[in-house]
Amino acid sequence: MKHHIILRIVTKLLIPLILLFGLYVQFHGDFSAGGGFQAGVIFAAGFILYNIVFGLDNGRSILSSNTAKSLMAIGVILYIVVGFLGILLGGNFLEYNDLSSTPIRGQLLGVFLVELGVGLTVSNVMVLVFYSFNDISMEKQ
Amino acid sequence: MSEISILAIFILSIALIISIFRFITANEIYTKILVVNLIGTKIVLLILLVGTVSIEKDFTDIALVYALINFISTIVILKYYEDKEATK
Repeated sequence: MKHHIILRIVTKLLIPLILLFGLYVQFHGDFSAGGGFQAGVIFAAGFILYNIVFGLDNGRSILSSNTAKSLMAIGVILYIVVGFLGILLGGNFLEYNDLSSTPIRGQLLGVFLVELGVGLTVSNVMVLVFYSFNDISMEKQ
Repeated sequence: MSEISILAIFILSIALIISIFRFITANEIYTKILVVNLIGTKIVLLILLVGTVSIEKDFTDIALVYALINFISTIVILKYYEDKEATK
């Protein structure tokens, strides 16, 4: 897509806003519609848009397949660590009350970390699904 | 205020039905893509209007996501047809 100048400029203007909206859905998820999964999908949609308009080579130089796989695993590990911290501090799995000084602050911190893990995992899984489809179509040609 | 919104919802719904008829009767694929984009824009407006009638501020977020998906899907479909015609 070398010669689509309007599309390229509109995409350049739009991608920061999409990523910002993804972060809003992630961190404002306690009070409005949203959460980790939806934020991850919106974030990945912005990245996939970049890949489509500017080419996969440019996209892979920003987020390679291996980096996406590691980030995906880090998200799951963050979720599990927060979950088992609840057990180590004397509660149930994913019980956030003892994570911080007061139960309310513990709840806020725990939900924040768990949703961050979910968001990381989902966005990277979506990017990896996109990459895999591209690899399949490359092999067919 | 809410009466005007409900009237606008009716008018938009009629425009939506006309757009769907245009989608069915269109022969060229580019016309169809354009009409799909048009329907998407109308649905974004419809979501916002429904959000103003039932006082739900979360509908604005959903409308934004819908507009985003509409934009990306149009680009992806157009790129698919561009690549298809290039390989012909």
